[in-house]
Amino acid sequence: MTFIIQFIVAMIATISFAILFSAPKQELLFCGLSGAIGWLFYFIIVGAGLSPVFGSLIGTLILTLFSRTMAVIRRCPATMFLLTGIFPLVPGAGIYYTVYALINEENQAFSSNGLQTLEIALAITFGIIFGFAVPQGLFHKLGQLLHPAEP
Amino acid sequence: MTCTKDILTLSVEIGDAMLRNGAEIYRVEDSLIHILESYDVENIDVYVLSNGIFASANEDKEDACSMVRHVPLGSVNLGKISALNQLTRDICNHDCSVSDAWTRLEQCKTLPTYHGLIAVLACGIGSACFCYLFGGGVLDAGIAFIIGLFEQQLLFVLQKHRVSKFLTNVFASMFVSVISIVCLLLGAPILYDKVIIGAIMPLVPGVVFTTSIRDFYNGDYLSGTIHLIDALLSALCIAVGVFLTITGFRYLGGGINL
Repeated sequence: MTFIIQFIVAMIATISFAILFSAPKQELLFCGLSGAIGWLFYFIIVGAGLSPVFGSLIGTLILTLFSRTMAVIRRCPATMFLLTGIFPLVPGAGIYYTVYALINEENQAFSSNGLQTLEIALAITFGIIFGFAVPQGLFHKLGQLLHPAEP
Repeated sequence: MTCTKDILTLSVEIGDAMLRNGAEIYRVEDSLIHILESYDVENIDVYVLSNGIFASANEDKEDACSMVRHVPLGSVNLGKISALNQLTRDICNHDCSVSDAWTRLEQCKTLPTYHGLIAVLACGIGSACFCYLFGGGVLDAGIAFIIGLFEQQLLFVLQKHRVSKFLTNVFASMFVSVISIVCLLLGAPILYDKVIIGAIMPLVPGVVFTTSIRDFYNGDYLSGTIHLIDALLSALCIAVGVFLTITGFRYLGGGINL
């Protein structure tokens, strides 16, 4: 049940932000789906007691692959689904807690939070890089299966 | 037969529009080359940076032409990128003559965006949802929703007065933190940190960061660095806003336990 709620909330959140970045109406639902899927994987992994850094890596990887698949199906740039879907995984909370520790002069918390924020950013980077490392040819084949009319 | 200059102007203009709306470098370069090729231009050289385009065509012919364009970093508009991408595809499939392409480019540039009220509502809903996702309760989400509504209006006002991007981020994150702390002080039983986190999400530079990663991935290190610095500075500005507010309240409030 928690998973379903998280999924839906992440989806609504992503759709709202997609609107802020003027994504076209007909793609909003799919933008939402990509955000929700990325978040769901993150949520499951972190819920299982693994580190948020690993969760971000897997979440971003799945999200990138999903965006590329959607790009073929919907025939739009993968960027559209990737940029909007990444929002739930961006370490906004990390920025806040790092600053908070800085204000309280808790040097240890500051460095561990700051480091984790950077690590999550790096994990997102590698998630995207691994996701794009999958050859485009596979997605082309998928496209040919889905839109057989085209050469 | 159209001369090189017309075609080059058209393609650079399309590239300019893509870059302005936040497309990644590789897409712009690729589109420019494909457009030029599909109009049978030879000897093409295109170099794109995150704030400039350099292109030359038909170097060895009579009507050789080259162009330099400066493009300021703008805000991301996915709808326009998608429309321009479709335009490029049509040109490459030879479905679109040069004059048609000009009219369609104008349409892409003036593509209607969402109404301001929808953006305001979206910002509110988005903030509330993120507040909930990061561990806030329903009441926290409600407060984040209201803050989000005003936040977007504040952003519109700041945008209208052309306040710099850095100050915009500082002001907006200060605004968010002030309101959540005031709500807390008025006695609302909220987790103010979750509210702040939810409400700063619209400011967090996730899109720019992702674009920067994609630029790095495609080997455009210089543009990737420009975007990365942009993202880091925005994050820093958000942090400064929160920092100033909380320290400010501590100095003023004496016994408040923040």
